[in-house]
Amino acid sequence: MTYLQVLINGLALGGLYACIAAGFSLVWGVLNIINLLHGSLIVLGAYLAYFAHQAWGISPFVFAPAAGLALFLPAFLIQRTILERVMGKPVLATLILTFGLNLFLDNAMLYGFKADFRKVIFDPPLGLLDLGGVLLPLDRFYATVAGLALVLAVWALLRTTHFGRAIVAVRMDREAAALMGIEVPRTYALAFALGAFMAGAAGSLLSGIFPISPVASSLYLGKAFVICVLGGLGSLPGVIAGGFALGLIESFGTLALGPELALTVAFVLLILLLMFRPTGLLGRQGFQ
Amino acid sequence: MSLRRTLSQRTLWAAFALLPLLSPGIGQAAQDTLRIGAPLPLTGALAPEGTKLRQGYELWLDQVNAQGGIKAGDRQLRVELRFYDYQSSTPKAVQLTEKLITDDRVDFLFSPFGSGAAKAASAVAEKNGVPFLASSASSAEVFDQGYRNLFGLYTDNSTLSEPIADLIHARLPKVSKVAILARNDLYPLSLANEFEKSARKRGIEVVYFERYAIGTLDHAAALAKLATTRPDWVVITGYINDLILVRRQMADQHIAPEVLTMINGPAYDEWIRAVGPQAENVTTASWFHPVLSYKSDDVFGSTGRFVELFRQKYGSAPDFTQASGAAVGVILQQAIERAGGVDRDAVRAELAKGGFNTFFAPVSFGPSGMADSYIPPVYQIQDGKVQVIYPRELATGEFRTGVGR
Repeated sequence: MTYLQVLINGLALGGLYACIAAGFSLVWGVLNIINLLHGSLIVLGAYLAYFAHQAWGISPFVFAPAAGLALFLPAFLIQRTILERVMGKPVLATLILTFGLNLFLDNAMLYGFKADFRKVIFDPPLGLLDLGGVLLPLDRFYATVAGLALVLAVWALLRTTHFGRAIVAVRMDREAAALMGIEVPRTYALAFALGAFMAGAAGSLLSGIFPISPVASSLYLGKAFVICVLGGLGSLPGVIAGGFALGLIESFGTLALGPELALTVAFVLLILLLMFRPTGLLGRQGFQ
Repeated sequence: MSLRRTLSQRTLWAAFALLPLLSPGIGQAAQDTLRIGAPLPLTGALAPEGTKLRQGYELWLDQVNAQGGIKAGDRQLRVELRFYDYQSSTPKAVQLTEKLITDDRVDFLFSPFGSGAAKAASAVAEKNGVPFLASSASSAEVFDQGYRNLFGLYTDNSTLSEPIADLIHARLPKVSKVAILARNDLYPLSLANEFEKSARKRGIEVVYFERYAIGTLDHAAALAKLATTRPDWVVITGYINDLILVRRQMADQHIAPEVLTMINGPAYDEWIRAVGPQAENVTTASWFHPVLSYKSDDVFGSTGRFVELFRQKYGSAPDFTQASGAAVGVILQQAIERAGGVDRDAVRAELAKGGFNTFFAPVSFGPSGMADSYIPPVYQIQDGKVQVIYPRELATGEFRTGVGR
């Protein structure tokens, strides 16, 4: 029974991890930018959901697309006015720039919202799903389902729409895409904004589960990084695989070796994966 | 030309050197100012704590200076706090302590935040013979160096675990198993070790003892394993974010022991608001809480007045770090007043004598320099409010058992 409970816990956690990493993976895959701002965007999305819940009683699960949209336009502008200047430059330049933006946003949130930890409280509580003695918290279940639906929607968008094909084309070959009439800088900005949309939506979904504070942004960023490497860069199905893999590894690692070593197990597996399958679980070779 | 320039330079230097003599007020003011040094972590990982300490110091400074300063014999000393940001880096805290003593020539020192930095910086204070008040060091190891100048406001970590263990042993003799989950961090882990000792001392079996990593986002698997041991008493140590998450995930798995102790965080509104009804009956302990009701001989007069003034200045209730900043201030003030001056030997002797009735607690220091004169109260969240349940003379409520699912 304990193993089943840990399995359910691991799957529920994995779904949340996939939400956290989806936008990060998209931006890394398409723009080749390791977006250190991503964790702060998740936290900002969580704050928006928290205040919407406080003011109007809107469920964060319903508010998620609105939280994403609220970040879409600012992110588009940030890409066009700031990040565009370092596109194609050495990775260190983009790292430093997004790190600076991350510091700015974190401190702005610390100033505006304080470092107090907050959390959306569901009243009445959403309760638990009892699967024959194995318990699944419904808030995690809803967040996982909504998060996966969001990732699949973006995946479908990339595969079936002109806008999505443009992003994929730019990712595959920037010059060839430009020759085909795709406006590359605008596509980059849209991809970055889409990543921010997913971060904002993920923040909203997580606002009833994890405590909200500006200081939490680095935790989300760290998880997103590991999940992307595990699942494969720039691959949305890879993000789902990576998220579930990390959730299960951490959960069973905790059970077997204790919570202190669970992260160590995850990182050892990550190193092994980098040695023997550097493209990740579902990633493809060919993108630098 | 060169001679003229030299002369004019000499004139300038002479005028500069004579300036204090020509303006008697300046020289006198310098003499009647008490200068206290405080290395603070105002940026970096400990920035929130550093800011809190500074708030406590400044509230005390406001009160003292509004009353004309500290009365030392027949003089009134205005108080100046000289602080530097050590960026949450202990080596930098040590360097800045040295700078405060040698460059800024401070009379006394307040410690950096936490046990580790306080221990490191106290060596510099001891070498220079400067009395050093540690506002936030709770590990006995800080005080095991035989220093004469080190005085710590907090009692030993064991004083947080012993009263709760006593209470449980006396009121719930059937409690036989405890499970402990600790954040793998200096203070929370030290605290968990104290709870382990306190439980064993009373014949309570420790059926689970695990550490979780800093930054853990999920405790479900650790709690699933903890649940299999069926403990009567669960102790979780960590900080507010950890404890919000753990409390929530305990409820998710229907883990409802007879007693749930969580340190540090549950006594504060932020935690109670974040976990809602699941805060009910959680026990905790802390050196200070606004709900306390000490009458004091210090500049505040009582805990209630301190809390009121803090709220007026900062718009929220003080937590124990903020209160600690003000508390080391009132202790130093009382020691200087008793000594009748700022002579370090005399002030050190008064500090060692102890007997300071403060808004924080009645404070005296043991032979090691660590406070040993009060018991940090035990609190319990009852009907959404913090109640003191131990010691009896401060109690505002009765101990309740059982926590909700």
